[in-house]
This record gives sequence, C-alpha cells and structure tokens, in this order.
Amino acid sequence: MVLSIWEGAYRVIGWRSWVFPAPSHVVDATLGMLNVRTGFGEGIGAGWPFAKEQSGREEGSWYGSPLIRAQVVSGVRLVFGFSLSIVFGGVLGLLMWRWEGLDKLLGPLFLGLQTLPSVCWVPLAILVFGINETGILFVLVMGSFFAIAIALRDGLKQIPPIYQRAGLMLGAAGWRLYRYVLLPASLPALAGSLRQGFSFAWRSLMGAELIFAVKKQGLGYQLAMGRETADVAQVVAVMIVMVVVGMVVDRWGFAKLQERVQARFGLG
Amino acid sequence: MFALPIENYQLKGLGERRGMEAGAVRSGELKAARRLAPAELLRGVVRREVGRGMLEMRGIEKRFNSSRVAVLTGISLEVKRGEFVVVVGPSGCGKTTLLNLAGGMVKPDGGEVMLDGKAVEGPGPERAMVFQDHGLFPWLTAASNIEFGLRMLGMRRRERRDRVEAALRMVHLGNFGEKLVHELSGGMKQRVAIARAMVMDPAVLLMDEPFAALDAQTRTLLHGQLQELWIQTKKTILFVTHSVGEAVRLADRIIVLSAYPGRIRREIRVELSHPRDFDSPQISELVRLVRTEIEEEVNRVNREMAGDEWKPAASAHLGDGFVDLGGSI
Repeated sequence: MVLSIWEGAYRVIGWRSWVFPAPSHVVDATLGMLNVRTGFGEGIGAGWPFAKEQSGREEGSWYGSPLIRAQVVSGVRLVFGFSLSIVFGGVLGLLMWRWEGLDKLLGPLFLGLQTLPSVCWVPLAILVFGINETGILFVLVMGSFFAIAIALRDGLKQIPPIYQRAGLMLGAAGWRLYRYVLLPASLPALAGSLRQGFSFAWRSLMGAELIFAVKKQGLGYQLAMGRETADVAQVVAVMIVMVVVGMVVDRWGFAKLQERVQARFGLG
Repeated sequence: MFALPIENYQLKGLGERRGMEAGAVRSGELKAARRLAPAELLRGVVRREVGRGMLEMRGIEKRFNSSRVAVLTGISLEVKRGEFVVVVGPSGCGKTTLLNLAGGMVKPDGGEVMLDGKAVEGPGPERAMVFQDHGLFPWLTAASNIEFGLRMLGMRRRERRDRVEAALRMVHLGNFGEKLVHELSGGMKQRVAIARAMVMDPAVLLMDEPFAALDAQTRTLLHGQLQELWIQTKKTILFVTHSVGEAVRLADRIIVLSAYPGRIRREIRVELSHPRDFDSPQISELVRLVRTEIEEEVNRVNREMAGDEWKPAASAHLGDGFVDLGGSI
C-alpha cells in the first residue's frame, strides 16, 4: 500500500531518482547487484520491465554477483566473530556469575560499555590493529560479547538453587554439576543471550564494514560503494538486504531456538 | 496398571470436597491406595535394609550468620534403621534446617551428624532428599529425571533402563516416563521425585514437606502410597512437616520442636500398626495431643515476641485441612 502510493507519487509528480529512489529503482538496484538487469524504473512502454540495451558492464552468473559475494564475505566474518564472541562472552558471563567480586568489578563496566555504539570501536581498532580483518573482528566482538556476558550472567542468576541442591544430592559433583545440571538449566538464558548477542554482532559488523575498506568486501562495503557512486537506489537496496538478513536469522534461527527451549522447560 | 482415580477428580467447591472426604472418597479410595505397590513392583529398585540407615545427630548447634539467636540448639536425635520419624513444629523452628543438616546441604556450627557411624560431609545419594517443590529437572523427561542419579554413578544404560522402569511402576507412573516435567500434575511430580530418590537405594530418605503443596485428595493418596512403600522397603525415613495430621498418620515417632531457639520439646511414640486407618479415634486423640503441644509453643513464642498483649484465640487450630476433628468418630 505504502509502496504503491510511493511509486505512484513518483510517477505522477516526477521526483528525481538521484535524490530519492522509487521502489522500482530499488528493485532494479537489488536485481542489478545479483547480475540481473531489469528496467522496472523505466517508463512503462514496450518491453517493460526488461532492461533496455545496456552499455558497459558485462553479464555474470548470479552466484558471482556483487551482492552474493558481499553476503558470503559478511557471513563468514559473522560466523567467525560471533563464535569468538560466544566464547568470550560465555566464559566471562560464567565467571561473573560464579565470583561475585568479579561481577562487582566488571558488571558496571560492561553495562557502561554496552551503551557505547559499536562503531565507536572503529577508530581504536584502526589504530591498534590497522585496517584489516582483525580490526573488523575486533569491532564485532567488542560490540556483542558484553551483551552475551551480561545476558548469560542474569540468566544463570535466575536458576532456582533447588536444581543445584538436587544435583548434588544425586551425586553430580564437580564438573558434572556444571555439565549435567547448570548447563542445561541455563539453556533458556543461553538461548536468550545468543539471540541478543546476534543482533548486536550483526549491527557491529555492518558498521565496521561500512568504514573499513579492506580487500574482501562485505555488505557494509556495498553500502559505502553506493554512497561513493551517489547511487541512492543501491544504498536503499543494501539497507533493505541488511534488515532482511538480520530478521531472517533472528526469526528463523534464534527465535526458533528460544521457543523450542522454552517449550521444553514449560515456560511461556 | 491401576488407574489413579483421585488425580482425575474435578474439584468443584470446598463444600463438595469436604463431603467427599468424609464419605466415599476417604474409605473407598484409600483402600484402593493400599492395594497399590505390591512387593514385586519394588524388586529391582531397592534392597530391604540390612545394617544400613541409622542416622544420628549429636548436640547440633546451628546459627545463621546474621542473627545471634540460634536456629537449632542442643539437638540430639537418633533415627533407627527402618524407623519413620516425623519432625513437626511451629514455622521458623528450624525443621527444614534440621533436614538440610542431615542431608549435608548445611554444615552444623557444633555437634555432628553421623550416618551408620560415619560423619556426614556433604550431600550425597545415600541420603536422598525429596523437596517440597519437587526440584525435578524441567529439561528432562520423568524417566530421565529418575535415571539421572544412576547416570552419575556411571551405571550402564541397560541396567539403568530396567531400574527406571521398575521405579516408575513403583510410583504407579508406568505410562508417564516420556512425559516432560511440566506435563505432569503436582502429585505426579512429587511421585517422580520420590522415585528419583528411591532408585538410588538410599540408606535414609529425607523428606522436606513433600506433600505441603498438594490438594487434600492427592495428599491422602500419597500418604497411603508412601506408607506402603515404606512397609515394603523398610527404609529409614526422616520426614518434616507442619501438618500434625500428616505426622500422626505416618510416624513411628513424632519429634515436636520448639522455636527460637529450636530445641526438641517432646517426643511422642505412635504405637499404632501400619497401614493406619486415618479416621480412627486413636489417631484423632493423638492429633489433639500433638496439636496442643504446638499451640502452646506458638503461644509462648508470640507472648515473648509481642509482650503481654498477646492473647491466644480460644481453641485456635493450626490450619491443616483437618478441621472436622472427631467428626467421624
């Protein structure tokens, strides 16, 4: 509805597409980044919506297209960085739960650092690590592992003490108490913290990629490219892709995981 | 297997419930409950006790760091093999602390806790505990909950499965093994918790107000089943409750605790044969006796706390769901 009004207004009034794009331009840009040439944004006439004769750029396969390549690069970075985040955040969350002294020391610091937008780590990353993959990973990890640590600590704190007592009573001592009682008991908290951690990680990665110009070009770089070439349609298209990817992973991945855990525990 | 009719009752109103309690439900269902748990069901779960299960507490002192007043002081208690001892007392008298001491969950500040001549160092499966709010693991099925302790012992899968099956049948939940904890009713959860404790073949079974959160009918049913289980296995049981009726129904010996500080006020031996007819006049007489003890204790504590203004209400009974005292004599 909104889209059709937007598109309609566009066609009737005749806004300039280099200032702000119509949905049809965004579609063109998105498909263009997938190496499919279309002309939805052209005037409706013979041959619409197929692209009129194109000049310059050569055709390529869809899997070699800029969007897919960027997506793969970002995906690999995300998996790698998020795993690191889970390890750091997990260990720190556990330690903070176990030792109150550490919690008192680090808890306020972490809460404070959480309010820092993750792109603010970029200058530090550039100075310390230089403009390279390590810098990007640094920003991603710093942007997400506090959230994981804090969420995990809070979740662990909510484990009813009776599980621990029951476990000890049944002979689960030492590491077994952690492996067979506390770890499964913390699953709802863990699922929640992963979900939150992912959204932080995704945002940090996009921010980092936007600013870092390294050899491998991620999704954020495509956004930067759009700005460089003053291609508004591409900018909007990449933004939409970012939102969609983030939402799909959250809804179909982490939310599903959380739901399953909660159903198992009889929560909600 | 037997169906468990009481669990399926729709409780419509309090009046109706009382009527049922006094009439058909009481006698009929209790007989059914007593028929449950025949000896062969227990085979493969627990041994009958030989030379195991004597719990001793000597000169126990316990205070919590914040308060000067001791929670428990000078408690000396001996629970013999195969004895069913119930501890009652006003709230705040340290009943649960006493049980936690026996379970090794809490360390005493003075005195010692011994099981079969060995000092209790920490929690362990030879002193299995049944908690008031069951403490079952919600991520496991009923069967896996029962299996948990055996797994920790490193028992092989095959042997575990047989024992778990036997334990489930023992508490009449043969068809409920694959259910998740939140899919079970309150009474069923508590029976799984009992099975989880019993499958470890403990020397002593410690029960911390296990039926306090259940409705009256389920409680009555479980009293019957617990008695039967105890007669079959001859386990030593230390049971804590605030319900006098429950104490008199189940115990060989009742320990009445006083409060602030917790001391043993009186021991009452219940020399009635098991299984007991819960409506018999002797039971009612004993309930009256124990209740008077506790009332005096409550009044004393209140007097001390509130000064002289406190006046006990005439013949105020402690709420217990056992209000129609003597009505069935």
